Amino acid sequence: MGILDKNLSLRNRNKMLIGVWEDEDSLVAATSELVHNGIKIHDVYTPYPVHGLDRIIGVRRSKLARIAFFCAITGLTLVTTMIWYMYVHDWPMNIGNKPVRFTPSWAPIMFEGTVLCTAFGMAFFFFWRNRLVHGIKNELLDDRQTDDRSIIAVELSENMDQNSILETMKKHSPVELREFHNGIQTTL
Amino acid sequence: MIHDSIIRDRLVTGDKTAADVTRDIARPILNKPSSAWKIGFSLSIVFLGIFVASLFYTLWTGIGVWNINKSVMWGWDITNFVFWVGIGHAGTLISAVLLLFRQKWRMSINRSAEAMTIFAVICAAMFPVFHMGRVWVGYWALPLPNAFGSLWVNFNSPLLWDVFAISTYFSVSLLFWYIGLIPDIATIRDKVKGKTEKAIYGFFSMGWTGSTRTWARYELVSLILAGLSTPLVLSVHTIVSTDFATSVIPGWHTTIFPPYFVAGAIFSGFGMVATLLVVARKVMNYENYITIGHLDAMTKIIMVTGSIVGIAYLTEFFIAWYSGVEYEQYAFTNRMFGPYWWAYWSMMTCNLIAPQVFWFRWARTTPWFIFIMSIVVNVGMWFERFVIIVTSLHRDYLPSSWVMYAGSLTEIGLFLGTFGIFFTCFFLFAKFLPVINMAEVKSILRNRE
Repeated sequence: MGILDKNLSLRNRNKMLIGVWEDEDSLVAATSELVHNGIKIHDVYTPYPVHGLDRIIGVRRSKLARIAFFCAITGLTLVTTMIWYMYVHDWPMNIGNKPVRFTPSWAPIMFEGTVLCTAFGMAFFFFWRNRLVHGIKNELLDDRQTDDRSIIAVELSENMDQNSILETMKKHSPVELREFHNGIQTTL
Repeated sequence: MIHDSIIRDRLVTGDKTAADVTRDIARPILNKPSSAWKIGFSLSIVFLGIFVASLFYTLWTGIGVWNINKSVMWGWDITNFVFWVGIGHAGTLISAVLLLFRQKWRMSINRSAEAMTIFAVICAAMFPVFHMGRVWVGYWALPLPNAFGSLWVNFNSPLLWDVFAISTYFSVSLLFWYIGLIPDIATIRDKVKGKTEKAIYGFFSMGWTGSTRTWARYELVSLILAGLSTPLVLSVHTIVSTDFATSVIPGWHTTIFPPYFVAGAIFSGFGMVATLLVVARKVMNYENYITIGHLDAMTKIIMVTGSIVGIAYLTEFFIAWYSGVEYEQYAFTNRMFGPYWWAYWSMMTCNLIAPQVFWFRWARTTPWFIFIMSIVVNVGMWFERFVIIVTSLHRDYLPSSWVMYAGSLTEIGLFLGTFGIFFTCFFLFAKFLPVINMAEVKSILRNRE
């Protein structure tokens, strides 16, 4: 598995069914029922984080915490090596005749370097994994999906019954139902 | 399903929907600037002009235009540095700590608190940078090879720790702020009509779509960043305090400085957040988002941290007496009854006595009174740094070198000018970015806390 989550792109997709909701509870109920019926949901787009939705649609637990730990170890090693090289190896500084070796006074900079590498390293992987790039083309299914509307997108495959999916969606009173194919949306 | 509690008030009042939140909070961005904004911004520009003029005079004539000299080599400059850096520390601390403690009321104040952090750290950086005198060799503070002009930096020095700490703090706070802004920038991107605005907001929104996959990782990254920022803030203000505490100057050489400085930073930071938000909620019609409940919670923290700082002041005195060191004892007697008694008692009045008024509910729930008190808190915190720095330096071990110190017009101009930098940045922020975190507020519309 690569770092980039390829599910996030809408390009080269089969026909998709799009359900639009304004109410969070109906959205969650519709999502749960679709998943319960064995339908694989491509994604759910919401204007704010809806807790639990990721687990319902089967998003795997993120490995970002492990990446953060890896970045922290890298940062700590880099900074400690830098201080040792400058202060002990390359040009030992005589300050009050104190011994030139590892001292607790290195700790603040070791800590700061660790935090810096962790924060930026983790953010870099977060952007990469989530296809967040400056200047990238927005792939929106609805202009209001960042405002007040939530969207369930189901990518149709051969063994899926379009009508039963639409029926399930309709049961949970969506605002709108659409079809999305080759970049064109049609209201159903 | 509405998650109602019978004991707690709603975090957002006025029965708002998600669409209302976008409309209300994005209004200043989508509409032409209001008269209040124009007046405020123009005033900030005037102060920014004062900063530019004072800085130009300093650079043109030399650092001698400041009144700092033997033995007060740190005066208004480092007072102002610690004042601003203290305000700067509170923003991320407020945001990160309240996130870790799952305090949902933070969602209406975290954005402006984080913005305040960034602008305050910019203001703070001005003072040590220009205090260097030869600012063009300021890069010597960085760990660059000896061939660049100076020796490798001294890793035992708290001043170098400061360079690393503050630059790390600034960068991480900026990242934390920016990641938090991405969903809201996307909302604005999808609301603005102009092609240029769409392109600019589109560029900074990084193609955000609100996918559940991204939200799940976004929340995790925010949580980890909050977890990193919390010890970072504590470390940075601890390091600022070690600039003083690791010296042998009576009045500075105390182990209580780190916790005392951190408490002071939260105190002054909440003071500044209250100043900004009491005005913003009125002028920008955000009363339903920054409610009286928010002000009540903030003032309680101001009262508690003010009391912690007060206890630290008293502990310093006790330890000076208990240590039996006559220089320490004199330093503290001199603070209280010496020629700078007025600064000391202003500090005590503003920081310890005045915030006790927040024991009364009326004081915690009356916006105009909170505004006045927030200014009092910040005046007090400026005096605290002035007292620590100037009263400890103006009378050192050798009575023949005792001097009096007062800031020169240029130093005063630079200090007033940093308010110009701060408020110019803040007004631009309020015009072009959402002051309240829209996405997070939408998620708590039906919650109570």
